[in-house]
Amino acid sequence: MVDVDFQHQALGHLDALYNFAMYLTKRPTDADDLVQETYLRAFRFSHRFQPGTHLRAWLFQILRNTFLTFYRVRERESPIAEDGVPEWDVPMFHHAPDDDGIAMDAHTDLERALRRLPEEFRTVLLLAEVEGLPLEEVARVMACPVGTVKSRIFRAKERLRGMLRDYETK
Amino acid sequence: MNERNDESSDEVLSRRLAGDLRRYAAPARLRVSIVEAATPRTRRPAWLSPLLAAAATAMLLALVLLPVIPRIVPSDPVQRYVRAVVSEHSRTLMWGARHGEILPTALPWLQQESGIALPQVFVGDERLEFVAAEPVYLERQRGVAIHYRDVDGHMLTYIALPAPGLSVPDPARVQIGRWRPALLRDSGFAAWVWKQGDVGCFLVSDMVSADDVERFKEYFTRVRATTEPVPAY
Repeated sequence: MVDVDFQHQALGHLDALYNFAMYLTKRPTDADDLVQETYLRAFRFSHRFQPGTHLRAWLFQILRNTFLTFYRVRERESPIAEDGVPEWDVPMFHHAPDDDGIAMDAHTDLERALRRLPEEFRTVLLLAEVEGLPLEEVARVMACPVGTVKSRIFRAKERLRGMLRDYETK
Repeated sequence: MNERNDESSDEVLSRRLAGDLRRYAAPARLRVSIVEAATPRTRRPAWLSPLLAAAATAMLLALVLLPVIPRIVPSDPVQRYVRAVVSEHSRTLMWGARHGEILPTALPWLQQESGIALPQVFVGDERLEFVAAEPVYLERQRGVAIHYRDVDGHMLTYIALPAPGLSVPDPARVQIGRWRPALLRDSGFAAWVWKQGDVGCFLVSDMVSADDVERFKEYFTRVRATTEPVPAY
């Protein structure tokens, strides 16, 4: 049985996880499923969580791993190398594959640009800049060195700025 | 510093990401469904399954053994006869007569099969319709059964079989014209019981209320007056 305190603490991060899931999946129904699956896994493996460590980061890690397992196949995003640079030329601007009526609408250029970033770039920005996780925790979630996280943040911001400039020009 | 320079600034972009980006709040139903999914369902007690299995086995055994369980048989011979004729009447109500023979064409066959001859037999009138006649085997005796239906739909069964030891109980006797049959009840049915020589006669129906009994008396009179069973051999 799930410890009630643990359940209560974990559910305290529900909004943050749902926000993260929305930017990953781009669909409310997928986000619902992803978050629910994340919590079920977290509750099932709650004994593996080490008290005193960052519960929020642990939950983000489960959510991202679940997303990569079940959802990324559908996304078919371009893989990138360890340093965050695409292994082949990926167009800077490409139409997101899920730009349909069901997917959420981007309210701002910033949101639209963020949605068009590859998942690895989008995730580091969401975790580090939006959720304010320390780089060490982001590295833990992403299962990569801190240096890689820094590199990805730098690259992601570069791309983001490029897209925003392009939107302004248009 | 113009807007473009602002965009190029890491700090400004970070601030925009932290402050301007829309945040999606989890719908309330999601929290509910997560809590519900995490709450373990009430587990069935460990002893319940074996108990249910044992109960099911006992029921099955009871059903299998029911036909061979000794029945509670009334010690009173008259009551035993009445129970037997009521059972025969109930069987006919549920399943119909085994043989739908037509009187008087079937009388020779009926006499041969039942051992009861019917020099006179009531074949129905405007109130009672003849339904079927058939041989029966009750209380280790062959006999004859004749089924009638009245205009209200009541089924009546007349049974005659050799019963030399049967004595009609006096306390239950009712005077009907020149006859004094006994009115006995069993399992919600009423039965007139009388004897003609060594032949025991029964007329069974579900007519048990006070009004019905008056009509049942009339039916008895019709059957009794025009039916004469005698041992054939």
